[in-house]
Amino acid sequence: MILPKFDYKKAEDIAAAIALYERSKGRACYLAGGTDLIPLLKLRLSEPSAMIDLKGIPQLKTISRKGNSLVIGPNVTLFELKNHETVKDYFPALYESLDATSCETLQMRGTIGGNILQNTRCLLYNKSLDWRTARGFCYKMGGETCNVVPNAAACFSNYCSDNALSLLSLSASVKLAGPEGERKIKLEKLFSKDGRNPFTLKPGEILTEFHIPFKRSTGAYEKLRVRNAIDYPLLGVAVSMIGGKGKVCVGGIGPAPLVYDLKDLSGAGLKEVAQQARQEARPVSNTTLSAGYRKKMVNVLTQRAIKRALKEGK
Amino acid sequence: MKTIKVSFRVNDETVAFQVKPYETLLETLRERIDLIGSKEACGMGACGACTVIVDGIPLRSCLVLTPEVNGASITTVEGLAKDGNLHPLQEAFMEKGAVQCGFCTSGMIMTAKALLDRNKKPTQKEVIKTMSSNICRCTGYKKIVEAVEYAASRRTSAG
Repeated sequence: MILPKFDYKKAEDIAAAIALYERSKGRACYLAGGTDLIPLLKLRLSEPSAMIDLKGIPQLKTISRKGNSLVIGPNVTLFELKNHETVKDYFPALYESLDATSCETLQMRGTIGGNILQNTRCLLYNKSLDWRTARGFCYKMGGETCNVVPNAAACFSNYCSDNALSLLSLSASVKLAGPEGERKIKLEKLFSKDGRNPFTLKPGEILTEFHIPFKRSTGAYEKLRVRNAIDYPLLGVAVSMIGGKGKVCVGGIGPAPLVYDLKDLSGAGLKEVAQQARQEARPVSNTTLSAGYRKKMVNVLTQRAIKRALKEGK
Repeated sequence: MKTIKVSFRVNDETVAFQVKPYETLLETLRERIDLIGSKEACGMGACGACTVIVDGIPLRSCLVLTPEVNGASITTVEGLAKDGNLHPLQEAFMEKGAVQCGFCTSGMIMTAKALLDRNKKPTQKEVIKTMSSNICRCTGYKKIVEAVEYAASRRTSAG
């Protein structure tokens, strides 16, 4: 499949990358591993004027301890992060979600930053330009309708990052740098909840750091998919527990993950959280599995993930 | 659009080209230097038929822009045979019948090579996990896994 025409620039540092973006008048696109972006370009779902390659920026590739946080550079590949000495011991939910992401070869190219900032997906969106033109453009392509749910007022595309769920369960935050300066926000605040434009990033902003509180946790990640070898989640549930309290995060359904606090660890408490997640999750017929099945599985996988996280803690 | 000067090593030879900024590594390998062992099947990074090894890491060459590999060292399936002798993995694939139509084979072998380079004696579970990065629509994977294990055991016994 042939790529659209664009220019290629390699940035030496973050300031240079932002300057390149500004020079493109907002039409350029940042490139890390490219495993999500290049297929989107091939389908003409994005047509930037230039690619600004961030892989030559050393500071985005490091993992370090700063105070009480583990600081992860967004260009660390999923495979490197999975095999980092602290991840398996301290953040088992993250270890499991990294391991469940795609396949090994793509884990070696895909980065944690790119995994979090991957675009939302829909069975009727991730298609060729010809297919989409014949069907008619939906909200996410700049049209006036949803092709999955007639008369819907919003876009139901699914956010399919496995690792965002585990990072949310670990109360991670992110640092961003852009033309207007730096800011640090909680990971929850990165999601706009609008499928058309799923992130609250301002134009030209680069994700520069992930911060995870450095406390030993127990946890688990459960993923529903058709092919175990390589697939996006059709539903994902991450649970992390620290000192008798936990966070449950449900995703793969709709444009933003759902996050719940877990305080009551009794059987009834677990069921209540699972039931609440099931009620609030709104799957529609835009994946290879039916909406009804995915909704039922929210309850099942949430309970399964919590039980595994609790068992590990004992 | 202006072209970009790119130079890299492929199978121990240095090459240099003026490439389009939106040219993929797979296109460069196949169309500029006739290394047609790497195949394009899905073109979307799902199948692994275009896998080549770049600086020790197996990559889907259909998802990599040629300017991104400037200065890198690349091995394709054509670079495995040495002095007229096939690589142990190539021998193993033939001996164990791990090839039917052959379209996925070069990608399979490159993925397996990257595994054996970083893990001399993988368990069967590790082989299956790594090889599940690649899709084959003929053999059903069993013989492919057997071939990788066989190549690993032969290599270990040979020291």
